[in-house]
Amino acid sequence: MTDEMLRAPAEVKYAEELDWLESIDDGPKPFSWRLSPRMVRLFILGSERADGLDREIPQKWFGDRSFVERSIVTLASDRGLLLIGDPGTGKSWLAELLSAAICRNSTLVVQGTAGTTEDHIKYSWNVSMVIAKGQSRESMIPSPIMTAMEQGMIGRFEELTRSTSDVQDALISILSEKYVSIPELDDDNIVFAQPGFSIIATANSRDRGVNDLSSALKRRFNFVRIPVVTNKRSEAEIVRFRTAELMRRHRIDLEVPPTLLDILLQSFADLRAAAASATSDDEKLESALSTAEQIGVLEDAVLHSQFFGDRTLRAETLAGSLVGSLARRSPEDLAILNKFWHGVIEPRSKQDDGAPWQAFLEGGRQALETLS
Amino acid sequence: MTEITEALPGPFGALRSQLLDAAAAFAGAGEGAGGADPVSGILAGMVDDVDRALREELEIFPVCHHSPASALAMARRLREKRPAVIYLELCEDLRPLLDELRNCRLPVALQAFATELEDFPAEWSPLSVVAPVTEASAEYQAIAYALDTPGVELVLVDRSTDHVFQWEPRTPPEPEPAADGGEGAALHGDAVGIEIGDLRPRFAELEAHLLHHGKVRHWSEWWDQYVEQPLVGADHDTYRQVMVLIGSLFRRLRPERDARNDRDEDRERYMWTRMREHLAASGADPARCLYVCGAFHAASRVEQFGLRADAPYEITPRTATRWQYGLIPSSHSAIEAQFGLAPGSVSIAAATWSKALQGSGVTPYRLKGQEGAKPKAVRARRAPDPGGPVADRLSGFLSRPPAPNGLDEDELLGWCVDIVRLARRNGYLASTADAIAVYETSVLLAGLRGRGRPTPYDFQDAAVTCIEKDTVPGRRDVRRLCEILLGGDRVGQVGYESLPPLARDVLDRLEPLGLDLAKRTIQRALLDLDANPELRPCSDLLWVLRRLLPDNAVRPIMGSRRLGERPIQESWDLDLGRHQRSIVELGYEGVTIEQVLEHRLRRTVADPKATAAAALAAVEDAILYLGGGRIADDLGNRAVELLAAERTVDDAPDVLRRIRRLLAYYRTTRADLPKWCERFVTAGYAHYCTLLPTAFLDEDTGVRQVAAMLGFLFSMESLALSLGCDHSQLELAVRQSHPEAPARIALLWAARSQLGLLPVAELRARYDELLANPLVVPSIPLYLSGFVQALEPVPSLAPVVVEVMSKAFARLPDPVLLPWLPKLITTLRDEAAELVPVLVREAGRMLPASLPAVDAWVPPWSARRPAAPASAPVPASARAVADLVAAHPAACDAVAGLLGHDAGWRPAAGGGGDDRVTGLLAAHGDTAHAVAALLGRA
Repeated sequence: MTDEMLRAPAEVKYAEELDWLESIDDGPKPFSWRLSPRMVRLFILGSERADGLDREIPQKWFGDRSFVERSIVTLASDRGLLLIGDPGTGKSWLAELLSAAICRNSTLVVQGTAGTTEDHIKYSWNVSMVIAKGQSRESMIPSPIMTAMEQGMIGRFEELTRSTSDVQDALISILSEKYVSIPELDDDNIVFAQPGFSIIATANSRDRGVNDLSSALKRRFNFVRIPVVTNKRSEAEIVRFRTAELMRRHRIDLEVPPTLLDILLQSFADLRAAAASATSDDEKLESALSTAEQIGVLEDAVLHSQFFGDRTLRAETLAGSLVGSLARRSPEDLAILNKFWHGVIEPRSKQDDGAPWQAFLEGGRQALETLS
Repeated sequence: MTEITEALPGPFGALRSQLLDAAAAFAGAGEGAGGADPVSGILAGMVDDVDRALREELEIFPVCHHSPASALAMARRLREKRPAVIYLELCEDLRPLLDELRNCRLPVALQAFATELEDFPAEWSPLSVVAPVTEASAEYQAIAYALDTPGVELVLVDRSTDHVFQWEPRTPPEPEPAADGGEGAALHGDAVGIEIGDLRPRFAELEAHLLHHGKVRHWSEWWDQYVEQPLVGADHDTYRQVMVLIGSLFRRLRPERDARNDRDEDRERYMWTRMREHLAASGADPARCLYVCGAFHAASRVEQFGLRADAPYEITPRTATRWQYGLIPSSHSAIEAQFGLAPGSVSIAAATWSKALQGSGVTPYRLKGQEGAKPKAVRARRAPDPGGPVADRLSGFLSRPPAPNGLDEDELLGWCVDIVRLARRNGYLASTADAIAVYETSVLLAGLRGRGRPTPYDFQDAAVTCIEKDTVPGRRDVRRLCEILLGGDRVGQVGYESLPPLARDVLDRLEPLGLDLAKRTIQRALLDLDANPELRPCSDLLWVLRRLLPDNAVRPIMGSRRLGERPIQESWDLDLGRHQRSIVELGYEGVTIEQVLEHRLRRTVADPKATAAAALAAVEDAILYLGGGRIADDLGNRAVELLAAERTVDDAPDVLRRIRRLLAYYRTTRADLPKWCERFVTAGYAHYCTLLPTAFLDEDTGVRQVAAMLGFLFSMESLALSLGCDHSQLELAVRQSHPEAPARIALLWAARSQLGLLPVAELRARYDELLANPLVVPSIPLYLSGFVQALEPVPSLAPVVVEVMSKAFARLPDPVLLPWLPKLITTLRDEAAELVPVLVREAGRMLPASLPAVDAWVPPWSARRPAAPASAPVPASARAVADLVAAHPAACDAVAGLLGHDAGWRPAAGGGGDDRVTGLLAAHGDTAHAVAALLGRA
């Protein structure tokens, strides 16, 4: 089944691993969870020799162990989980892994947008069926959240803060009373949540203030803040892991040279340092410079080399892709990149081991010229 | 490290062979060959170390710092054994300070401090070593026992503080990142910390490995969970064996490089040598002695180890550096910051300590007379029999999982309720529901982390998860609140009796204020100096403290101290309780606060990099705080030397401001100027005259500096000339100046006009020429800034400056004028703030004050131009004066003769004059009579 999908959800992709973990799991499981909390942690953070397992479970999410533990524990408690952080810090990926491990279904997702209505959270009606048969449970279209309630699963709400406050507040009763009433129906008009139901929401800390959560809703969520990964080693790990996955998806057989990966990581680290010392927004790139952004840059470069290049990833291509991805505003971003290229990359390329930096410098210059 | 001997038939033989088997099995399971040797070497070596330490004739008591388990085991052991001599791993020269501990509220730190260094690099100054002492520590138990039990001797055996630095590598110490831990964390300043029983892997990978597998974040947490808690209730033998084992493990696993560089082994040699010396000298019975040292040192393998060893070790003499000793207040957070412990860990240790005391029935030792709650008399349980041969307790300890010793139910519930209350008080919207959630989450987290019961760290994580939302509403976040809840940051205090003389003197002298200065809150002192003149010395002292202590220690709210001012009322915010360390450290510099200030002022001016301005500032301080006198003269003399030696004029504005202020002060307070002032003026006159032509040309010297030089020359000229200087020197210097930059040219014109070398009319004409020349117009603003600066040396030029500015505003094209305006304002504000009032006053005099008047207004300079006849009529208002002069022509003739004009007095022809004036004078004859009377004609 994985082969037929562009991107398989985690429970499909890691189905075999989850089955195996479930078969050996003898720990206590809360509610209707498929795995015990320890196994959920093991699934997400990977196994070690000390765990004494027969096979190795790879790490799937990279970050501090305590974030994962706190998230799992929250889901086992009475409250919803709100993952908050900068864009590209892996919030949605963690949410997907958690729901896949806990209930084997990570697809009960509501995407929060300015156009999200209460119907998307509760239920709506199949109009033609209502006309034909009247309002009944049959003609009702339950939302993913309602489905999660009925089946005792984890419902996900992506980008909670993008939807308007009144829509957000529809979650309050779902999270505290744990039922949704359907006043249109005369009987069978309450959907009760089954044990195991919980909600994982994600929110973007850059959107703070757009649609702030009401304090009533805040109370019903435990907040887990996911920081931007700044540890170079784990960042390299993430980029490698995700790029390998993407290339597998595109069926591309191309190697990412370690020096280029280093260059990419170093450039991002430098750009972040520059952004941290900037005093106004005009001196900062619009991009959050997250790990996901790096993966995007690398993927872009890989695809470019695959289809328009000689199937080898080169520093020039990487530089072009970096400039292309990060230059969003003209002239502000271009000016920053120009300064960065001449102030940071150029000195690096003149050092002893600067050969790949030299090519990177040239590629970036050309890309900047094209865009300017 | 690979010493593998056959299993000894000792108590540990069985464990040893078991470990060797395990090592062999491990090597067999491993991939490469040859892995067995190091592993078995380490494992067997650890057991050997334990065996060796336990067999030693002198009882070794291994401890770990801030460990309640160590403290508890120590208290138990002391009650059982009642040793007569205690050897303690602490710098030997700190011994006298220990007696002072009873006057203090713990935690405090023992401090050794040196500012005048001998045989150390001068840039290391000041050297400072601190050794914090907390209540929940084994060393405090030992100290309290030894000091309060008659006949017990306490001997510190570690290297002296001098050796701490002797053994430092002579490379410049790298600046450490500033610890960010709030107010309490900075209590130790930048001192080097030493503590008893530093027990932490010296091998970063090992620590990372232990943390990872212990599923904990910080070393303190690992230690608490795997060593501290299991050992809290352990018996003496188990405690000792486990501690030595851990010490040995860390010792054997440290990288070779560290083993070479660190001085641990030297310290062990030092300590064993000292102990042997003491035993030999005192003849004490080794069986009645106890050696308290870090577990790391208990597993020592130096050849000097043991009383029977006779390997020599030469202790190097101390340097001639003079060390000062004292106690400073410390705090839990300061200890955590200094020794890299997890935030809150020392507070948790303190909480564990009090809990363990209640649970174990051990009565702790406490110094008599120490401030704080008295330990509850707990019913002492029957101690196990201390005698008997060493038995293997390790096997049992190592093979059992740690007994669950987390929080009990009630304690956790209490904390959950308290944290919610605390969070509410700090602005969080927390409720009972949160308390329930925190409780549930703590239990779940503990389960997930494989712990039977939640630890304080689990509780902290749970509280953050449940209460912390997207923003922190107040000053403290939930993590910090948890730390406060778990005992908070306890800050110690040094008692009055243990303070150095200076600090005691300060407190004594501030007593008339009637405040409790030991309090750790800000206290307001109101001084009505007119009503209560006896408070004047307090005010003087507060000003000196203000000068010497950090900013927040004493802060004047009302009142200031400036030259020539006498305060009537003052109000102060005093926070001396929280700045005890600063006062104690001042105590190392002198006996009274005035002495310290004098010393510092002298040091400032004696510095090779001192400037004349700094020396003048020191003179000012000496007058303000020390009443002037001899020290002010000494400092002033130094200022003269410094000025004469200066080759730049960067400080000229500062020098000018300060010397003016000092001269004004001396003129109002005494009949004559001090000698140094006269010398300063003459030296300055000559000095600035010499430097003037270069400064005018030099691009690196600012216009403001040149203006200040001219200001000095012009305003001090009369004094300088009266002291023997020559005016022609200045005139020549101005003639030699040929600036090129517009601003300086303007300044030079002003100077020349002041000297009479350039009439004002010509100056105006030159300026008008500039304005008329379109090529020069863009640089007009630069000329104007020169003119503005010229107000400083030539204040009489103010009308001209207003005139040239008004002309500029009127005539300059907008593209030149508008960009310049903001710059004019910033320049005026930054560089010539004191000149602005002069300018504004002059402008207010010349320009119309109301809007309607503007239409009819004719600028005085354009009105003046047509009416400037060469023979202006004699100002008629001086008729009476004219009469007077006419009545005594001889005087005029004499003056004329002196001036070389011998035309003689001639009566005015015609005698016409203005009738109106004559009429006016006739009508008001009193005026003329008054003038005449003034002139001496009755």
